[in-house]
Amino acid sequence: MNNILTIVKFTLAEALARKVFLFFAAITLLVLLGTLLVIGLVDLETLMGITKATEQKQLMGEIVSSIELLIVNPLANLGLLLAIFSSASFIPVMLEKGNIDLLLSKPISRTQLLIGKYCGVVLFVFLNILLFVFGIWLIISIKFGYWDASFLTLSLIITYTFAILYALILFFGVITKSSIPGMMLAYLIFLILSPLLLLYKDKLNEFISSEIIKTFLDGLYFIIPQTAELMGSIMIDLAAGKGITNFQSILTSLLFLIIFLVFSVLLFKRKDF
Amino acid sequence: MAAIETRSLSKVYVTSFGNKKVRALNELNLTIEKGTIFGMLGPNGAGKTTLVKLLLQIIFPTFGTARLLDTDINDYHLKKKIGYLPENHKYPPYLSGGAVLKYFGKLSNINGLELDKKIDELLELVNLSKWKKAKVKTYSKGMMQRLGLAQALINDPELIFLDEPTDGVDPIGRKEIRDILLELKSRSKTIFLNSHLLSEVELITDRVGILNKGKLLREGTVRELTEKKEEYKITVSDEEFELTRYSDKNMIITKSNSGSYSVKVDDIRTMNLLVDKLRNDSVLIKEIVLQKDTLEEMFISLISQEEKGIEN
Repeated sequence: MNNILTIVKFTLAEALARKVFLFFAAITLLVLLGTLLVIGLVDLETLMGITKATEQKQLMGEIVSSIELLIVNPLANLGLLLAIFSSASFIPVMLEKGNIDLLLSKPISRTQLLIGKYCGVVLFVFLNILLFVFGIWLIISIKFGYWDASFLTLSLIITYTFAILYALILFFGVITKSSIPGMMLAYLIFLILSPLLLLYKDKLNEFISSEIIKTFLDGLYFIIPQTAELMGSIMIDLAAGKGITNFQSILTSLLFLIIFLVFSVLLFKRKDF
Repeated sequence: MAAIETRSLSKVYVTSFGNKKVRALNELNLTIEKGTIFGMLGPNGAGKTTLVKLLLQIIFPTFGTARLLDTDINDYHLKKKIGYLPENHKYPPYLSGGAVLKYFGKLSNINGLELDKKIDELLELVNLSKWKKAKVKTYSKGMMQRLGLAQALINDPELIFLDEPTDGVDPIGRKEIRDILLELKSRSKTIFLNSHLLSEVELITDRVGILNKGKLLREGTVRELTEKKEEYKITVSDEEFELTRYSDKNMIITKSNSGSYSVKVDDIRTMNLLVDKLRNDSVLIKEIVLQKDTLEEMFISLISQEEKGIEN
C-alpha cells in the first residue's frame, strides 16, 4: 500500500510539474469568474418573486440545480476531453526506457506500480473537477442563498467517467507505449459511440428491422461504456438530488473499467521493457 | 556463497511478425561470489544489458533460471537488497537531486529521518551536496551518473548492478567512482559492472566475463584471461649470446629490439628444457617473464577470433 501511495504522490507531483494542474486551475478560475459575472446579471428579485409566488422551496432547488447544471454539464464534457488529452501521456512517459528500468528495479510489484499510476492520474483529475464543481456550487449557492450539497456528487460521476476512459488509455498505453491509440479510442467512445448507442436505444431501436443488427447493437450498447448516460441523465438526476436512478449504466461501465484494468495489469506483468 | 547464479539463462527476441529471432542471451551459466567485483565485457549488442535486465526481471527469460543472493529472481522483495544504475537512466526532470533520491528511497521502503540522513550521506559521497536542491534537468551528464550511483546505493544494497557507470564522467570523476566501488567492496558488497572501458575494468574487478552475441566466451580473473601461457620473455647477461640457436619445431625464439628474446613453446616442460640447456652452456639468465596481454588486447583478439568463427 505504501508503494502505491508513493507512486500516487509522485504522479500528483508530476502533474504539478508538467503544469497540468496549473492549466486546469487557470481554466477553472476563468470559468468561475465568468460564472460570477453572468450570475451577477441574474435578476434575483424576479426569480425570488416566482419562488415566493409558488411558495415552493422545491422549485427554488430546481432552478438552482438547473442553473448549476447548465454551467457544469457542457464545461464538464469539455473538461473531460481536456483531462484525457493532458493525462494520456503519463503512462507512456512512465514506460520510457531509462525510467521504467529504474522503477522495476525497486521492491515494488508491477501491479502496484501500474495501479499507483492509474490512481494518481484519476486523483489529480478528481481534484481538478472537485475544484471546478465546488467553485460553481459555492458561487450559485451564495447568490441564491440555497444550499444543497447533492450537486457536489457531480464531481464523483465526472471522475468516474474519466476513470472508465482512462482504463482504456492505460490498456493501450501498456500495449503500445504510446498515448495516441488509447486517446483516440477514448474520444471515439465518448464523442461518437456512446452518444450514438444511446440514440439507438432511446429513439432508433424501433426503426431497425434486422434482428441481427439489433442484437449486435444491443450487445455493443452493453459492452461500450455508457459515458453518454453518465454525463447526461445520471448527472442531471444527481444535480437534482434524486440520486442514482440508472444503475445499469454505472455497473456495465464499471465492468468495462475492471476488465481493462485487469488486462492492463496482466499484460504489464509479463511485458519486457 | 553465490551472489549471482544463472543456469542456462536465455533470452530470444522475436520480431513483431515472428519471422526473425534474435538470440540475445544464449544458455548462460554464471556464478559470481559474494563480496566481489565482476566486470562483464562485450561489444555493443553482446547481451550485457539483457543479462542485467533479466536478473532484475525488467525482461523475462525465454528459458533458464537465475538466483540472486540465494533467492529466486521472481521474488520482487529481493530487490530491497539490490541497487541498479541503468545505462541512459532518466529521472523526472522536475525533481531536484534530493527529491530523486527521496522518490527512489521511498520506493525502496526507506522513510523519515533514516532516508533524509541517507540522502545527505550519499550526495556527499558523490560530491553533489551543493546540488541537492537543483532540478536534475540542470545537471550535466557526469552529474547525472553520480546521482545515478547515489540512487543505486540508496537502500544500502548487498548486490549492485552498474551499467556503464562512468559513461560521460571525466577522468577525476571516474577515479572517484572507482574509489567508491572499491570502498563498497571492502564492505562486502557484490558489484556487477557492465563497461566498455576495459582499462577501468582491469583496475577494479576481481573477475571478468566476456560476452559476445549472447555467449559467454571467457570468464576468470584478469590475470587468468591475459596470461599468454606459452610465451615468455627471457633476458640473458651476455648480450652477444644468440639464443635463437636453440629454436626448433617445439620452440620458436625471436630476438626483440631491446635485446631480450621472445620464446614461444608448446608447454612449460619445453621452457624448462631451454633453461637447462642455457645453464649447461653457462649462460647467466637475468630474467624470465611470462608474457601478458592487456585486457584490451585479449578482448580484441578474442572477439576478432569469434567473429571469424574460430573456436578458441
